[in-house]
Amino acid sequence: MTAPQPRRRRIGVYVCHCGGNISDYVDVGRVVEAVREEDDVVVAREAMFTCSEATQREIVEDIAAEELDGLVVASCSPKLHQTTFREVARRGGLNPYLYSQVNIREQCSWTHTDDRAGATEKAIRLVRAGIAKTRLSAPLEPLNVTTTRRALVVGGGVAGMRSAVALADVGIEVVLVEREDHLGGAVAGLGEMFPNQVRGDELAARLIAEIEQREAITVRTRSVLREKRGTYGNYEVAVETAGKVSRVAVGQIIVATGFVSYTPELGEYGYGMPGVVTLEEFDRLLAKSSGPLRAGGREVSSVAYLYCVGSRNEENPACSRYCCSAAVHASILAARRQPSLRQFHLHRDLRTYGRNELAFRESRRLGSLYLRFGDDDAPRISAEGEQVRVIVRDQLAAGEELALSVDLLVLVTGMRPRSNDELVNTLKLPVGRDGFFNEIHPKLRPVETIVDGVSICGACQGPKTAAEAVTSGLAAAAHAAAVLKRGVAELDPEVAIVRAEACSGCGECVSACPFAAIALLDGASPRARVDASACKGCGACVPVCPEDAIDLQGYRDVQLRAMITAMAGEVAP
Amino acid sequence: MTDYDVLVLGSGIGGMESALKLGDMGYRVLVVESEPSIGGKMILLSKVFPTLDCASCISTPKMAATAHHPNVSVLTDARLERVVRMTDGGFSATIHQTPRYVDVAACTACRQCELACTVAVPDQYNGELVSRRAAYLPFPQALPQKALIERAGTSPCTFACPAGIKAHGYVSLVRSGEYDKAFALVSETTPLVGSLGRACYAPCEAACTRGALEGPLAIRRLKRFVADVHYGSDGNHEAPARPEPSGKRVAIVGSGPAGVTAAWQLARAGHAVRIFEAAPVAGGAMRLSIPSYRLPVATVERDLANLAELGVEIETGHLVRDLAELRAGGFDAVLVATGTPLAARLGVAGEDLDGVRSALGLLRDLKLGAPVDLTDRTVAVIGGGNVAIDAARSAARLGARSVHLVCLEQREHMPAHAFEVEEALAEGIELHDGWGIADLSGSDAVASVGLKACTAVFDADGRFAPTYDDRRRAELGADVVLVAIGMEVDTAAFPSLAPAGSRRLRADPATFRTAEEGVFAAGDAVSGPSTIAQAVGAGRDAAHMIDRYLSGKDLAGLEVPLPVVSHDAVLARQRAYTRREAFVHRPVLSPAPRGFAELEGPLSEDEALAAAGRCLDCGVCSECHECVAACPADAIHLEMRPEDHTVRAGAVIVSTGYRLFDADLKPQYGYGRFKNVVTGTQMERLLAPTRPYHGVLRPGDGKVPEKIAYVMCTGSRDETVNNPMCSKFCCMYSLKQNQLILGALPLADVTVHYIDIRAAGKGYDEFFEQAKAMGTTFIKGRVAEINELENGDLMLSYEDIAHGGVRVAEYDLVVLAVGVQPSPGIARLFEDGLELDPQGFVLEVSEDDHPAATSIPGVFAAGAVTGPRDIPESILHAGAAAVQAAAYLQSTRVPA
Repeated sequence: MTAPQPRRRRIGVYVCHCGGNISDYVDVGRVVEAVREEDDVVVAREAMFTCSEATQREIVEDIAAEELDGLVVASCSPKLHQTTFREVARRGGLNPYLYSQVNIREQCSWTHTDDRAGATEKAIRLVRAGIAKTRLSAPLEPLNVTTTRRALVVGGGVAGMRSAVALADVGIEVVLVEREDHLGGAVAGLGEMFPNQVRGDELAARLIAEIEQREAITVRTRSVLREKRGTYGNYEVAVETAGKVSRVAVGQIIVATGFVSYTPELGEYGYGMPGVVTLEEFDRLLAKSSGPLRAGGREVSSVAYLYCVGSRNEENPACSRYCCSAAVHASILAARRQPSLRQFHLHRDLRTYGRNELAFRESRRLGSLYLRFGDDDAPRISAEGEQVRVIVRDQLAAGEELALSVDLLVLVTGMRPRSNDELVNTLKLPVGRDGFFNEIHPKLRPVETIVDGVSICGACQGPKTAAEAVTSGLAAAAHAAAVLKRGVAELDPEVAIVRAEACSGCGECVSACPFAAIALLDGASPRARVDASACKGCGACVPVCPEDAIDLQGYRDVQLRAMITAMAGEVAP
Repeated sequence: MTDYDVLVLGSGIGGMESALKLGDMGYRVLVVESEPSIGGKMILLSKVFPTLDCASCISTPKMAATAHHPNVSVLTDARLERVVRMTDGGFSATIHQTPRYVDVAACTACRQCELACTVAVPDQYNGELVSRRAAYLPFPQALPQKALIERAGTSPCTFACPAGIKAHGYVSLVRSGEYDKAFALVSETTPLVGSLGRACYAPCEAACTRGALEGPLAIRRLKRFVADVHYGSDGNHEAPARPEPSGKRVAIVGSGPAGVTAAWQLARAGHAVRIFEAAPVAGGAMRLSIPSYRLPVATVERDLANLAELGVEIETGHLVRDLAELRAGGFDAVLVATGTPLAARLGVAGEDLDGVRSALGLLRDLKLGAPVDLTDRTVAVIGGGNVAIDAARSAARLGARSVHLVCLEQREHMPAHAFEVEEALAEGIELHDGWGIADLSGSDAVASVGLKACTAVFDADGRFAPTYDDRRRAELGADVVLVAIGMEVDTAAFPSLAPAGSRRLRADPATFRTAEEGVFAAGDAVSGPSTIAQAVGAGRDAAHMIDRYLSGKDLAGLEVPLPVVSHDAVLARQRAYTRREAFVHRPVLSPAPRGFAELEGPLSEDEALAAAGRCLDCGVCSECHECVAACPADAIHLEMRPEDHTVRAGAVIVSTGYRLFDADLKPQYGYGRFKNVVTGTQMERLLAPTRPYHGVLRPGDGKVPEKIAYVMCTGSRDETVNNPMCSKFCCMYSLKQNQLILGALPLADVTVHYIDIRAAGKGYDEFFEQAKAMGTTFIKGRVAEINELENGDLMLSYEDIAHGGVRVAEYDLVVLAVGVQPSPGIARLFEDGLELDPQGFVLEVSEDDHPAATSIPGVFAAGAVTGPRDIPESILHAGAAAVQAAAYLQSTRVPA
């Protein structure tokens, strides 16, 4: 089969050094020289940072001066800069979909650090393929969809509640779904919290009152999310309350389902023994009582805190972030109530980060003693009458082994992910190795997920303090508002298209589509039809079609064949 | 109505995030950034933890999105001065816009200015590990990608020059070996390059910042050097191109420094200029009174020859009396610059005796070649100024038996420059200070000078009004008396320009216009006796006004220099200026001088380069104008000036980030003294894709480091530097650097001295484990001190808690993990005051339910301006600030 002869194109090719990220292992100059002679290439340049403003401007100028009708940038992954260069094309007056990105960083320089010649040859082949694809590219227009100005917030803890209030305050309706029969989440059970001496129960109550004042927020307690369908900016969710399912149209979904506290195994550091409690239990004891500390009916005159229980170990290598500061803070509260209390902190790295360091100082001022044990040298716990005996080798005292007898041993336990399989399945939420939900990019996009329209916040994402959870709840609200306040969204037009005249209506594509974006149109002879707003352009339908009736815009079969041919050509040594 | 919905202060990752979120919501946002590029600190990092993404690769999309967002406007180089909350809940903000001195619309970032620039300064975008130019593009990914010129103000030398010569500019050109360009730069002002290089009193040198250290630069002699070089190559350089003729003619009366400079400037503007000089030779005082041992005749004549190259005609021996006639003769404008040709008289008995004459007359005879012989005469020179000194020293050279200098003032108050007095004494002149003249006596010729003690020269108001003690008298035998007590304007020559009784010509001090239309006056004839440099300045400015007059423009537009840079500011900025001995090269003086050969020798090229190399670049930009000439887009405009303007906004987000701890506040770690002790920020640069060296090298000697130590908590968790807080992200960036170093230098040993490793965050502890697995060694305990060995290696004394005891170890390179400090000056921007926490960070008044909200409703603080936050925390905080700012706008009904 011979490829159709395309009309002559005028293509500009830019090969990026990425500082040294690419040019340390790929001979960029050689790549440029090799592709300069390709058919239809009228500009071929190299750039230190193609994404820099200077090179962007140069490309815009080239598009006009050289009358480019195709653009190729060989740089990093399209995940990083495809949007950037489509925008550059648009600024230059070129349809953004006449642009192709070739990834010679992740696919060449970073993977072949041991083979400069090979990496360079591979880069040449990939760029040729990009040129071949671009030669057959056609302009596409984005799909504009109207979005629903309402958000769903799942979880009525402080993060979810604050998120709901913020959305209501910028004019977006909210449906707040909570599994329990009341709002408040974990924070509602807390007394004084660090670092601002705000009581958790009061904070929760304040947010509940704020929600009650806002008509734009509908609260659905004792409710769970059962189903989500629809397309970007226009979802329909099914919420079940006491056996009854109702459907709501929403434009964005924020997940704030929180955490569970780690509960040690029985016997783990004496857990189950009288006088051994978790930090959560100790916090509750502090919050719910007053006067001298009493536990198990006895007065408490000494407390030991054992840090990192259930964290930073083989079973759970993660650090739970908040627990060092929480334990230090608990000891301050205890000391204020009972200045005579003797308190011992048995810790590893003490992680009172940022301002919490001041609490660490305060606790020492109030008499807490800190003993550091080695990572592989955990303290040993045993019962000693009504007391708990703790044997620890303290690095701060030159490895001396000390035996402490205390009335109360607090196991400083961290946050664990809540198991919530149904929600994960309904929303297709990405779950990390640690069991918490994962954001799309932990650095720059910390609330968005890979699932369109679904954001996460609070401790369902990882351990957080109340203030940190509220901050992320607000950030999720900002993201949802940024999408919904505009009222319209632009969707990528790189979707599947069906040649109706070739379709036999076999339905293979319908079952192949992971997004339920293809349906068979009823009629004398059924035909497949793609819902462009639901299609993600994954291409799963294309190869299963026995009639070759489906093509993917921007990645049409002819383009892929041309890419393969281009890639297979000779590369001069 | 507001100009913007939200004003975002700072364009680091937090500021950009707030702006983008609000812009997406449909709000109009103004981002104000004090740096020349947006992007904040993140864009300069190597990679980010724990994903090890390339920091610049993931920052640039945010920067581009911010710059191109339809709802977001960005002002770089802009500083917020003041924010006032209005009654409607909105804000009025005063913004101080610093010029880039570059027309950003015209600049194409071609970097020609950078290549041409003659000033190198430490590159703050590369941790000051390398230099950049004063004209520069900040860094490869900077946005906007436009050049700017760094100017701290006017350099003291340039500011001090009454002639307006860019002293710093020609010094920096000499330093670059561009002698002809240095000559050309001086020529921008005056053709008298050689003359000023010898006879100027060099106020530039008095102002030089080095003066307070080892002594000032020899700035004047550098000017002479470039004149010597330029004139020495006569015949090799082309005559300057003549400008397009304007068709206008200008007459200049007087060929002293003012007249000659004005003629030069006017000729360069295309006007036809003719100078009328009453004396038989041109040059005024330079040619007629300054002795040749200071200023040779050939030098003045060579300087004046420059004028001929531009077509200026000089008519000597032509005394102008009638200005109207001159105008009628076809001159469109006239400049009177006749100086102070007359000598003041003593007004004492015996002044008309033979042997008594004016010093000026004697000097003039000498310079015109008339025979003057003082062999074996006893000479008394009356006066304490420079002319008196010139006369005395000339008399000595003419064979006088003895020369006495009599003046009213005590020596330290003499108007002559101290060095001149010193030189005169070295040549055997006898000084009689504190004496007035009672009378002169003698039979036919003068034989004796009657002296009376002077008790005060000035009255209480500072006016010249000498008082004497008539009882204290003395007689000084002298058969020649040279009077040098002042020089006067010949007002009688131009009665229409001098009001009755006036001792000077009158001209408007700003425009140089006189009472007669088309006639201007400038120089000593207007100001009274001054210096060559002052007269040059007056001539240049007058020419500027005459040129505007001739082209029908308003008489304004003189260059206003930037404020002068203070010595303290320079010395504070230049932390590492090295001691460089001043070049002292005084002429050899003998007590019985003979002949009028020039006393001061020329500088050799090596001496000139050494002298220019001492320059501290006080104003940063030297105003050498090389960039202006190099710019193909004519985009550089050094005359741009800062502007303040006011904008209204509905809400404010402060996102100005943090300042890094100043590592030299821990002197025991040697930062700033030991070259191989660097900060974490500098290590970021060494590891970044746009790194200053091509690889990880230690700065001291470029060696590839094999043993590297990290000192954690430098300036954090440390009461001794008043910062008890933990800076939160130094552990993580250090762990990241450990891994990048081990990637770049697989054989290196990396050791971390720490208190606690605070890897608290999602995936952070796993990142710590990864650093351990890659081979980083962790030693718990503080570092007590660092000492430098002869080879640049460093000896660390540290505590090892796990094994006990204090130990020492040797490293090639030490990295100080410096922490976070609040950025200063935020609170006072706000009229209502912005509350800070005890550490100086902006206080979040209700962090638990309104994070980022401050003590002022409608003002939010996002990111590390409220305390240590890493990148994702700053982004979350910025989102929180953005959505609350939107809610605030909604609640105050400020239209979106």
